[in-house]
Amino acid sequence: MAIPVHTPRVNNNDDEVRLVGLEVAVGDRVSRGQAVAQIETDKAIMEIEAPAEGYVLDIAAPLDSQIAVGSVLIWLGATPDEAVPQAATDLDTPPPEGAIATPTAKARQLLQRYGLTAAQVPAQGPRLTAAAVSSYAASQGLAPLAGPPPPRSTARAPEPTPGVPGQWRELQGDEKGMLATVTWHRDHAVPGYIELEYDPRPWAEYARTFAERHKLMLNPLLSLMAWRLTRLAAAMPKLNSALVGERRYEYAAVNLGFTAQVDETLYLCVLRDAEQRDALEFVNALLDLQRRAAVHKLAADETRGATLGFSSMERWKVSQHIPVLPPLASLMVAHTADAQGRAVLGATYDHRVLNGFQVVSALRKLGKPPSDTP
Amino acid sequence: MAPDRNAIEQAIKAKIVEIADQLGEDARALTHDELIPATGLIDSAGLLQLLAWYEHRFQIPLAQDEITVDNLGTIATMAGFALKKKGSL
Repeated sequence: MAIPVHTPRVNNNDDEVRLVGLEVAVGDRVSRGQAVAQIETDKAIMEIEAPAEGYVLDIAAPLDSQIAVGSVLIWLGATPDEAVPQAATDLDTPPPEGAIATPTAKARQLLQRYGLTAAQVPAQGPRLTAAAVSSYAASQGLAPLAGPPPPRSTARAPEPTPGVPGQWRELQGDEKGMLATVTWHRDHAVPGYIELEYDPRPWAEYARTFAERHKLMLNPLLSLMAWRLTRLAAAMPKLNSALVGERRYEYAAVNLGFTAQVDETLYLCVLRDAEQRDALEFVNALLDLQRRAAVHKLAADETRGATLGFSSMERWKVSQHIPVLPPLASLMVAHTADAQGRAVLGATYDHRVLNGFQVVSALRKLGKPPSDTP
Repeated sequence: MAPDRNAIEQAIKAKIVEIADQLGEDARALTHDELIPATGLIDSAGLLQLLAWYEHRFQIPLAQDEITVDNLGTIATMAGFALKKKGSL
């Protein structure tokens, strides 16, 4: 029996997506989980994977065409000569006579704009799409009841000035850096946050053995976790990339940003080319950075250019913290362990670059130490 | 005048007590031969703070490979290492 590969919904408000990539042709054999196509909305590009192994029987849409969310994009069969089902899928089946199709979010907005109800507009399936409403409105010569909503202005209202007596203070260098970071986070990223509990015992044992073997003075646990994150990012380039305009920039090196609180100052120490170091080199290099941070002696290029971040607030026994993304980075891991010993790995991530599944996968791997001897 | 070992140990102990206090720990009972990292009284960030203070207070720049438990693991070894670096041993 043929298996349909449906067009997934990427954003709640998009009923159609553009087919921007096809990895297969009719007759190709595909494995389960293999990427078969890429679709794009105005916010993201997403890969479609084969839900099962099989042969490509049919591709329903040409490259670069708009396709409806939920429609069948590809048919897979157990053999290359299996018949392509002619019966339409549920999503292509018009609702029974008299039934009212449920409007999508975008369709609801358009219905309001034209002063229509869902019952007035013929639907092509069980969902009433924005395209169907637009098409009906055009066929009836309807004009919107009100003009289209004005485009969202990127200009911000002028900041209010304090209305009580006080003194102006110029920002220090680290304060300016923090301002630049949070402003980028606010204006450019689309942050998401995910966290998982993990069993801290294997990591604690790994770090203890490592410290004993190398006669380390400081517990290397957090450094080793950051090193593991660096290795994961080297193997999964999306973790170490940034969205600029409408293109994703994959960094050639992993510059690991590691937070260090020194008195009142929060530094993001940046260890460059971190993926090229073995565990001991990494731990020592990070310790060196932290030591110089402790006396406020970091060089300029050691406080910027992070492509990936790691932050821990275990010291303060907080139960949760949601870090800000460094500029032009897509992942900042947040580690903590509270007073009850509950250990947590969280991550702030740029949802334009990474999705929840990718972040969870990375955090799950990070929650376990490497299998080799430390 | 040669640095006084006892005074160095007292100064180191006072700094450890101060850092531990910031973390809600009481280090006043710490003995001079106890392995500081193993006590859990101060964490890695606290140890970094201690090392930065140690370098500044005794004017001893530490090389990366000198930061080991053998050299700096206890109050006694820290004091001994400071004296050795100062050429007093």
